[in-house]
Amino acid sequence: MNYKKILVAVDASENARRATEYVGEIVGESPGFEITLLYVVRHAERDLFPDDKSWENRKKQEKEKAKLVLSELKTLLHTYGLSEDTVSTRLIEISNFSIAQAVMDFQKSGGFGTIVVGRRGMSKAEEFLFGSISNKIVHYAKNCAVWVIE
Amino acid sequence: MSKEVQELVKRLRPSLSLGEYGKVYDDTSEFMKISYGDVIRLEGQHYLVIRDEAERSFGIEDPKYWVKRCIHLESGERKILKLVFYEKFSLKLGDIEIPCFRSPRKEARILELVRGDKRFMQGVSCLDSKGNLVRILDVVSGKRLDHFVFEIEKGHKEYFFQDLPAILENFMDSCRAIKFLHDHGEIHGDIRRDHLWREYKSGQYVWIDFDYAYEFEESPFGLDIFGLGSLLIYLAGKQIYTEANLQHIMADKQIELEENDFSLLYKNRIVNLKKLFPYIPRELNLVFMHFSQGAEVFYETVDEFLYDLEPCIELIRKKGGQP
Repeated sequence: MNYKKILVAVDASENARRATEYVGEIVGESPGFEITLLYVVRHAERDLFPDDKSWENRKKQEKEKAKLVLSELKTLLHTYGLSEDTVSTRLIEISNFSIAQAVMDFQKSGGFGTIVVGRRGMSKAEEFLFGSISNKIVHYAKNCAVWVIE
Repeated sequence: MSKEVQELVKRLRPSLSLGEYGKVYDDTSEFMKISYGDVIRLEGQHYLVIRDEAERSFGIEDPKYWVKRCIHLESGERKILKLVFYEKFSLKLGDIEIPCFRSPRKEARILELVRGDKRFMQGVSCLDSKGNLVRILDVVSGKRLDHFVFEIEKGHKEYFFQDLPAILENFMDSCRAIKFLHDHGEIHGDIRRDHLWREYKSGQYVWIDFDYAYEFEESPFGLDIFGLGSLLIYLAGKQIYTEANLQHIMADKQIELEENDFSLLYKNRIVNLKKLFPYIPRELNLVFMHFSQGAEVFYETVDEFLYDLEPCIELIRKKGGQP
């Protein structure tokens, strides 16, 4: 497994930004690294909308937001000295599915040796009710290192 | 229009006498206007509105204007009509607020999925003249399970050993019903004490009201599982225990409680029932403690919950001296 092939799971949160900054600090201008910024968009459920049009609008907005975040975080990595050909971005859309699972599937298929993920402080009750993406990755990811940035 | 309703009632249900005769509605969009004496016509069938349904909480009646108690004029059967009401609100669970949506579409889909399954309320859905998705529900002839349990006239110990094993067996079947939903990518969404009923005749436990929908989360079933846990603790205790009511119920006992003995979400509810009733098997109490503030491991699936719960029934029977 190539630990220099790093998958950074991001979203629009401040934690994701911190995780990206951390990768920038660690990797900097060092040779041999390959960074992929992955944004998994989990679309809102159709049930929440009175009609297809408002649902489609929401999905479109979510996708546009993800593209923007990916572009900003890529630029951020460049400021740490990572070159254009070292950083790539990827957007995956899912519905009714685990983001953690999507990240782990992508790690496996892409042969990434390291997953980086941000973590927001969750209360126990929130973790019970909603689940934690970073905890799931820590528990279930295989054949890779996991960096959790808080 | 009143005459139309009068003639309908006279023709289809001549035995009914009404104080007022209202209008016939093919379009249910303005559900606030539809009230006693009106008739809702759906796909050629007629539903005479008797009243709006209401939920009682803290002794106050909260009318649900979009839910109509009706008589189906063609058959004479009692029905509940749930009309379309898109509402976004915050579901408050302890200190946590969760954005929640009413989804007629979700409820209609689940009604279809559970047709013929006695563990769920039954009904069909159809569109009114304006395309509103109306759910036509059978009335569950029974009582809320928590009320049934609370009213069993026995002390806790007697109840625990004599009645609870059978109640838990039925409850486990209700849990499997929720697992069935999860296996089909659905959630109940509003597992509370007032949404599990016990039918008078058959004793069957029946889930009602599944129109709540949420944004997806990493653990999609967490909310349902927490609801099942809270229900289990209620059934095992025969009621809710808080520090406040404990002073009345067990005034003669000195019980030392700590933070970890209370519910993870409802901070005033005691879940460590073994401190109150020492005869509760440790294994069952451990299931309760998964829902406490001291919990380090949570159930992620109904299967995990049932795996721990199932052997407890036998343990209670053995401790109680039953075969």
